[in-house]
Amino acid sequence: MSRKGFDLFDLIKKVLFTDFVKGLTVTLGYNISKSITMRYPDEEKWIPYRRFRGLHTLNRDENGRELCVACELCSKACPTGCITVIPEENDSGRGIADRVAKVWTVNLVRCLFCGYCEDACPTRALRLGREYELACADYSCTLMSRDQLLVPQPVPESIPGGYVVKSKLERTPQGIKVTVDLSKFKKRSI
Amino acid sequence: MVTVKINGKEITVEDNTLILDAARDAGYEIPTFCYQADLMGIGSCRMCLVEIEGQKKLQPSCVTPVLHGMSINTDSGTVQTARAGVLEFLLANHAMDCPVCDKGGECELQDMVHKHGPHKGRHAEPKFKFHDKDYVLSPVIIKNSNRCVQCMKCVRVCREVVGQNVLGALGRGDHQEPTSFFRAFMNCEMDGNCIEVCPVGCFMRLPYRYKSRPWDLKSSDTICPYCATGCRMVIEERAGTLMRAKAQLGVGLNSETLCARGRFGQDFVNNPERINQPLVRRYGKLEPVTWEEAISHIKENLTALDGDKIGGIASPRLTNEELYLFQKLMREVLGSPNIDSSSRFSPDAVEGFVAATGMGEGGVSVYDCMEADTVLIIGTHLSDENPVIDYIVRRISASRRMNVIIASPRAMKLDSSANIVLRHNVASENAVLTSLVIGLNEGKLADTLKGMHEAQLDANLKASGVSADLISTVVNRLAASSSIAIIAGTDFLRYPEGISGLGLLKDLLKSRGKKVTVMPVLDRANQRGAWEMGVHPGFGPGYSETRKGLGTEGMLDAAMKGELEALYVVGSDVASMYPGDDFARTALSKVGFLIVQDMFMTETARQAHVVLPGAAHAEKDGTYTNQEGRAQVIKKLLTAPGRAKQDINIIRAIGESFDRSFGPKHFALVLDEIRKEVPSYADVSLSFNNKRNTDNKLDNRGALVKAAAAPAVKVKSFNPASVETSGARFILTTGNHLFHSGRSSMKSETLLGLLKGAVVEISEEDAASLGLKSGEKVRVKGANFEAQMTLLTKKGTKSGVAFIAENFDDAPVNRYFRRGGGIPRVDIIKTI
Ligand code: SF4
Ligand code: SF4
Ligand code: SF4
Ligand code: SF4
Ligand code: SF4
Ligand code: FES
Repeated sequence: MSRKGFDLFDLIKKVLFTDFVKGLTVTLGYNISKSITMRYPDEEKWIPYRRFRGLHTLNRDENGRELCVACELCSKACPTGCITVIPEENDSGRGIADRVAKVWTVNLVRCLFCGYCEDACPTRALRLGREYELACADYSCTLMSRDQLLVPQPVPESIPGGYVVKSKLERTPQGIKVTVDLSKFKKRSI
Repeated sequence: MVTVKINGKEITVEDNTLILDAARDAGYEIPTFCYQADLMGIGSCRMCLVEIEGQKKLQPSCVTPVLHGMSINTDSGTVQTARAGVLEFLLANHAMDCPVCDKGGECELQDMVHKHGPHKGRHAEPKFKFHDKDYVLSPVIIKNSNRCVQCMKCVRVCREVVGQNVLGALGRGDHQEPTSFFRAFMNCEMDGNCIEVCPVGCFMRLPYRYKSRPWDLKSSDTICPYCATGCRMVIEERAGTLMRAKAQLGVGLNSETLCARGRFGQDFVNNPERINQPLVRRYGKLEPVTWEEAISHIKENLTALDGDKIGGIASPRLTNEELYLFQKLMREVLGSPNIDSSSRFSPDAVEGFVAATGMGEGGVSVYDCMEADTVLIIGTHLSDENPVIDYIVRRISASRRMNVIIASPRAMKLDSSANIVLRHNVASENAVLTSLVIGLNEGKLADTLKGMHEAQLDANLKASGVSADLISTVVNRLAASSSIAIIAGTDFLRYPEGISGLGLLKDLLKSRGKKVTVMPVLDRANQRGAWEMGVHPGFGPGYSETRKGLGTEGMLDAAMKGELEALYVVGSDVASMYPGDDFARTALSKVGFLIVQDMFMTETARQAHVVLPGAAHAEKDGTYTNQEGRAQVIKKLLTAPGRAKQDINIIRAIGESFDRSFGPKHFALVLDEIRKEVPSYADVSLSFNNKRNTDNKLDNRGALVKAAAAPAVKVKSFNPASVETSGARFILTTGNHLFHSGRSSMKSETLLGLLKGAVVEISEEDAASLGLKSGEKVRVKGANFEAQMTLLTKKGTKSGVAFIAENFDDAPVNRYFRRGGGIPRVDIIKTI
């Protein structure tokens, strides 16, 4: 129940700039606290946790045989229909079975990184990796094919992720590239 | 009739109905693996167990007939547990390699486990494996026995339906493996019916191996474009490539069966050699042009020509609508009566055959024929030419008491189902039929006539080479039957003398008060449709009266004399099918203006002035009329390659260039016009054949065409076929091979994989006496041609008969024939 008219308490607050000081402590507090701005990509880069859903990877078993048996379940499970698999027979030991993918492409422009495909994969050939630098200035990066996805991603499975590592931005005639040094990392809370 | 209770619902069914069928009638689904309506019940899989009140054990419903008062439970807790148990055992040793298996996505085991199965297995033991790698059983079949559920459908279909008996079970119990004899490479019919019936991925098609998943495929329900059996099939494509053709259980007259051509021969559509742009000859060379240029070029060259000097030949593989428009273009726009649909048979023979087989009296279903007491099969090598009719005859004749009589010079697989086999001389159908007629008349004849008839009979027996005993057995069977079906094949068209005998026998049997059905068997998908659409020089649509014109032979004669100014050939390779060495080629080169519309650069197309790229069956909509007179719908699945067009559109474009109103403009409207113009087609509907029969009553009699109003066809008498008098040992006959028919099968990669080079078939005895063995290379030497080919021997073929199929490029059999000459004789010499 507020009384109309004079309020002594309010007056004191105004004279002493209480609210102003309160606001200022937040600002000044951040001024002297550790910065959370990441100097990405020139100096630092965030390595996501393993559960992160980034660019698809196709994996091999310990003998280097492709795990993908071109069963097309990923493409069937995909809600956007962005994976195309065309199987073929190959007995040469390229894959774990005599059925391998002749074509395996994912259309990253359509992908919503839902991870259904990796859930569907019966051989764990397909995982969504931790690569997230997917932009490009032309269409070259929109379709990723088997050959590209079979190349191991820079962040290996053994690294748990969830921290920042040292990185460097390189400009090459082919475009820009971020290289990381996984041995130097700092924990960061986010 | 008995009354039973199924899940509390009371229903009345025929005696001896299986519980399974009764339950399905009542609307309850019972899962099955080994049950298939057309096959012998073996009750091996135990998926169909049901509970019968008062019986302790569950009973397999697929082999247990209903008894009056039975109370059956198809879905009780016990039944469900039993089903799950059966599936758990099936999975105990199952490979579970669904991701690799080609059946994945359309596998009955997957579906069943998903629906009824235990979703957890308790078997931890290592699985038993038959083998590690899939093994190839034939150029079209690959096998993985680790996935087998031991339903024995493959073995049964091969034995009971195909009659080939090459599959059997090795081993016992869960180590039982249905396969070929000790897994050897098979030399069989290659029809893939074992693949079709296998509920899991044991039998797989090699050409489709690891190409796709069922959910990638777009399909269309259509009709086989090879022989005139008119098998219903589903063709499927992925990304514009035709992937496979399959049959559907309980759909079409063929149900789950197809032959090698039908199942594996559809890939000619994908052939990269297809013509994909219109070509016009300029300065001696065929050069690509636009459609407008091509059509206007045609118009320029056809305008002001006398109709009588134009000819048209259309392939019996076009649709009814295309054929109808074709004859309309020829007759009404170009004013030409010279129309034919075949380069092999003479128009007179066709007319006689149409009359003798009563095609004008409406359609005759093969199932009606198989209800007769006696079936006489004559003038056809049914097992090779119309394999699915062979299956139907085998299956039905095994399941009921009936006589099957086969008359043919060559041995065939169906002989084993026949009660009597008449091995007659080549081209002596007439003598066989006349002997039968005389024999049937015997009792009625006064003694005075007897001597004369005996003389006639002797002459005919001698001509046919059949013994009097056999003839009299057949006569007795015919006399004792109240209904008789005659299945008459294309040999009557090759050797038309038999047509009069056929007409005579039919009339005689009818006059004796017997029910006679005659079914023609033909070798081109829409041959009957072509005739019924009036693509014939002697009659118009619906066998109506029309101005008579020239047939193929007459046109080529006219061309030879330089009297044929223009010829429009659609889909027919006259140059390589017409008998005689170079006659057709020379005649065609003298035609003033030759238009060829085809899918491939044929011998004929190479000589053309204008080449128009047409479409395959998979690329068009329309109807085909099969040999029975069943009008069935074909459906478009793919788009013709490049700038190729549907033939109906090309024919219409040519018509429109003369007369803007030429049409109708759409295939369905053309069919409407056909319904009006051809009374027998009044009831043909586009929705006919798209029904599925749940009760496996395959016959859709509704699709049979009705009788024509007043067919203007007559049985004529023909001169006996003469045989060349050279001293050579073998008489040469021709027809279709099991793996090949017509020109398009030579463009199918898979069929070429089954058989590429020409083969000549003779009897085992002849081969033995010549010191030759099956598989050897021989030279076949005729009076005017000789070629090298592989020898095949067949047990039971008439001695002195050699057979070469009509479509091999490396041994064009037409070159052995001489135009106007008799049936050629050849010698077979071993090549050294
Ligand atoms: S992450 Fe989702 S959208 Fe992307 S490819 Fe996989 S299933 Fe498709
Ligand atoms: S990635 Fe996995 S799901 Fe996709 S086709 Fe390969 S094995 Fe199948
Ligand atoms: S392809 Fe036909 S003949 Fe050969 S094994 Fe299979 S069912 Fe028998
Ligand atoms: S191979 Fe197929 S059809 Fe034959 S018994 Fe096994 S599961 Fe049945
Ligand atoms: S029997 Fe004739 S219509 Fe049937 S699949 Fe074989 S070729 Fe085609
Ligand atoms: S379906 Fe009845 S036992 Fe197999």
